[in-house]
Amino acid sequence: MIRIAQLSCGSEYSGIQQEIERAAQTVGAKIVYPEVSLDDILNVENTFGVSVASGDLNLAMARAVRIVQNPDLADAVIVMTCFRCAEAAIIRSEIRKYIHQHSKIPVLSYSFTERTTAETLLTRMEALVTTVKFRGLLARERQKGLTAGIDSGSTTTKSVVMRDNEVIGTGWVPTNEVLKSAEDALEAALKTAGVAKEDISAIGVTGYGRFLVGKHINAKLIQEEITVNSKGAVFLADAQKGPATVIDIGGMDNKAISVQDGIPGGFTMGGICAGASGRFLELTAKRLGVDITELGKLALKGDYRNVAMNSYCIVFGTQSLVNSLALGCKPEDVAMAACHSVAEQVYEQQLQEVEVKEPVIMVGGTSLIEGLPKAMEELLHVKVRVPKYAQYIGAVGAALLVSGLLED
Amino acid sequence: MLVTKYVITSSESNILPSDIAMKIYGSKYDVTVKETCFGVVINGEEDAINALIKEIRALDPAGIFIKDRGFPPGDPRRCRGRRGGGARPGFYMIEAESKMLPMITRAMASEGEVLAIAEKKKPLAIKRLEEIIHEDLS
Amino acid sequence: MAKVIVYPPTSMILSDLVERMGHKALVVPQAVRNLVTANEIDSPPLNVTPEEPKKGLRYAAVDVPSGVRGRMSLIGPIIEEAEAAIIVGDPGWLTGCAGCSRTNELVRLLIRTKGIPVLDLSYPTNDPEARAFVQKIKTFLEGLK
Repeated sequence: MIRIAQLSCGSEYSGIQQEIERAAQTVGAKIVYPEVSLDDILNVENTFGVSVASGDLNLAMARAVRIVQNPDLADAVIVMTCFRCAEAAIIRSEIRKYIHQHSKIPVLSYSFTERTTAETLLTRMEALVTTVKFRGLLARERQKGLTAGIDSGSTTTKSVVMRDNEVIGTGWVPTNEVLKSAEDALEAALKTAGVAKEDISAIGVTGYGRFLVGKHINAKLIQEEITVNSKGAVFLADAQKGPATVIDIGGMDNKAISVQDGIPGGFTMGGICAGASGRFLELTAKRLGVDITELGKLALKGDYRNVAMNSYCIVFGTQSLVNSLALGCKPEDVAMAACHSVAEQVYEQQLQEVEVKEPVIMVGGTSLIEGLPKAMEELLHVKVRVPKYAQYIGAVGAALLVSGLLED
Repeated sequence: MLVTKYVITSSESNILPSDIAMKIYGSKYDVTVKETCFGVVINGEEDAINALIKEIRALDPAGIFIKDRGFPPGDPRRCRGRRGGGARPGFYMIEAESKMLPMITRAMASEGEVLAIAEKKKPLAIKRLEEIIHEDLS
Repeated sequence: MAKVIVYPPTSMILSDLVERMGHKALVVPQAVRNLVTANEIDSPPLNVTPEEPKKGLRYAAVDVPSGVRGRMSLIGPIIEEAEAAIIVGDPGWLTGCAGCSRTNELVRLLIRTKGIPVLDLSYPTNDPEARAFVQKIKTFLEGLK
């Protein structure tokens, strides 16, 4: 049983404690609370570095200190506080950094509302448990044999066929009917690889539709996209050893993952609004009358400073898009402004929650929109790597990981 | 309505949690009792609990304290044995207040005689601080 | 007999002294009890259900964190019911029901602006202070109808 230590403030009074425990139970984990004394809470300024007005945050910090002093108490940590609480946001981030710096225990940080359900937490918890449970599998660096991977995403379904550490076939289709799209993507990948389905030794599946698709095609590996994508990213970017940061701006949500030796150490997943996702760029391309594959090249010729755009909310983002075009702004400036705005949302909302260490690897279909990695480079002041097959990252990660199961 | 109360003894009281438990076992009330490190937790119908509390208080009027509790005793939602260890957050408040109980007990037993309270220290007058700085640094 | 709200809202010492002197202490565990032992809820919650933060909108706007609103759904009605209050300044170890400082600030504000008699105290640190503490509470409670 994987023990996840819960360091939190407000969950019991937001009515979501049972949801947290249900999510943990679903992924085969148990929530634990490290034992601390009253003196530990009263001395938290000396041990952790600060004490605050809210006692439950002091208790959370005291528990963090206890875990660092005795790492055997927990296999993973979740730090959770109320959304919109400034006091808690500061402490949540500091607890995450503290655990990260002083132990090897993976940490997940999350801010909740009363609407947070077990389902919202499930993928995050699953990833947390995977990093603990399948450390050996995640350490795998080479793909062996003939395997396939399917990434059943919210917008598109991707598939690859790999043989002896090389991608030999790819397939990419829009997600309509989940099962049909998965079959079509796999078929396309098999076709370009020139191999028959029967010859594939094992299939790994990830993405939103993973459970449905995985069951249907009898997949050997069904895994959430956080561990799979980070594995695929470091494999393709040749950064399997040492630190790396993976940024995946998806069609519906975004992921920022801090990776060490190919294994996620901390991550965030979310996005306030589709205004911070690939969906907004799709909309921009449509408005500009260019194909989504052309948007990036157009953006590279533009300057975002010439257009006032904020896509914090997709409705307001669209409004500024329409306004800027009505004001006669140049299409290339508008394209770059859209890329910059999406990058800015990810920078503000997600990259603040993980350790950004080089190399920074951008993956997913959106990374091919050249303006987006460029905007991210400008924001982070570091070079951003977009590996070959970046749009197939989940499928590559799944094909790689599933080959590890074949030997066992 | 079923209610749950903590019965907490001051550390200087001669009454032990087991004495309170024995008193309850020997009483006519249909009340469940659970001993803890700082006292007992009792659960029963409100009327029975209120009547019983009067009898329990009589064991040591100034040394026994009563507190309401939301959850029934041993409730799996709150029981640390079933919930991955760690005291429930409210426990620390009971612990902190328990440490003050001997003082409160003595105060209640003193029959209203109020002692002189030393005045709280005030910050040094800025003028005096200025003088000290001049004296020490000159 | 007066209904007296105590702050911290779970204080054993304060609620005991109020009850022992013949008044009714209004405390949070009573509100929690109603929720966690309610027969009509299929799966009784740990303290509150996700509905309570919504009920808390009566006391704080939606941009106030859910943990504050959830607590206010328990404490707010008690404040409304209160006829007098005893407030002890924050001792630095408030957790659980009183573990959120933003809630505590709102609770103190609502008590003070309600216009009921309020006794302000600090937790005692020695015997003379403890005697004054008990005496002030006694005098205050005797003055209530």
